[in-house]
Amino acid sequence: MTKQRQVDQHIGELLSGLLDGELTQQQRQMVKLHCEGCAECSENLESLRVLRKRIGDAALSEVGEDKWREHMNDKRVETPRSIGWILFIGGLLVVAGIAVSAFLFSDEIHIGMKFLIIAIYGGLATLLYSVLRQRLIERKTDKYKDVEI
Amino acid sequence: MKKNDMKQQLLQLGNGAHALATQILGNTDDAADAVHDAFARVLSKPDAYDARTGGLKPWFLRVVRNGCIDQIRRRRPADNAVDELQDQAPGPDVVVEVAQRDRALQNALAKLSAGQREIIVLRDYMDLSYAEIADVQEIAQGTVMSRLHRARMALKEELTRHD
Ligand SMILES: [Zn+2]
Repeated sequence: MTKQRQVDQHIGELLSGLLDGELTQQQRQMVKLHCEGCAECSENLESLRVLRKRIGDAALSEVGEDKWREHMNDKRVETPRSIGWILFIGGLLVVAGIAVSAFLFSDEIHIGMKFLIIAIYGGLATLLYSVLRQRLIERKTDKYKDVEI
Repeated sequence: MKKNDMKQQLLQLGNGAHALATQILGNTDDAADAVHDAFARVLSKPDAYDARTGGLKPWFLRVVRNGCIDQIRRRRPADNAVDELQDQAPGPDVVVEVAQRDRALQNALAKLSAGQREIIVLRDYMDLSYAEIADVQEIAQGTVMSRLHRARMALKEELTRHD
């Protein structure tokens, strides 16, 4: 590539790449060499450097850490879902407990029938548990799945 | 990651996330809501973050960004607001609420597309690498440099027009 041709083409986006430290060694040298011989690109590089600093130093948000701490400690952030679940599951357990004891201590149901029904529900519970367990393992190993929570 | 460690790190990211959300939503109040919701989501499931897949910063910013996009969807459910996101004009309150000394910059930013404002904030304000930007914006890593450069040139042009 001749020097004239380089000037014709200019450096374009590689100027940004240079400022951001995202170029390869070879690209860096190419850009620097070009800028030494091209006033337009070296001026452009300098003005981009100034612009970057101006944005970096700007106050694009002035909320402040204390305000964010308040946001984080807001009860809405900390508790609603867990309290909801505790109430729901707690209530369910009480109802299930009453039903199970009424069933087990009932005199009207034959003992064989009791065992049969216990076996059916026991099997169902085991299946449910194994499915839940697998889901839990999948969720832990699938590293991207939860990014978009 | 322990919840308290995460809280500490998230505190540092609040303003940056808010700046990003403001550029996407065009309104600082909506942006604060978006950051608040993102805190709530992340802190209710701190284990969802896996440090092996990258830094907390880009991960959290992605959660914030997705929340903003959801907010736009809810706001205008009838049309394809998200597809128009790149061309969306900002609300007027952004311009009013920022500090005086950065007003010219904010005005110039407001002239860019939402996608351009976003990429500039991610790189020059939040200091993300190109790989992290690609991750947050869900674009190909190879296109980051050219998109960013175009956005900067457009911003430079706007600034020189008014300075
Ligand atoms: Zn040149």
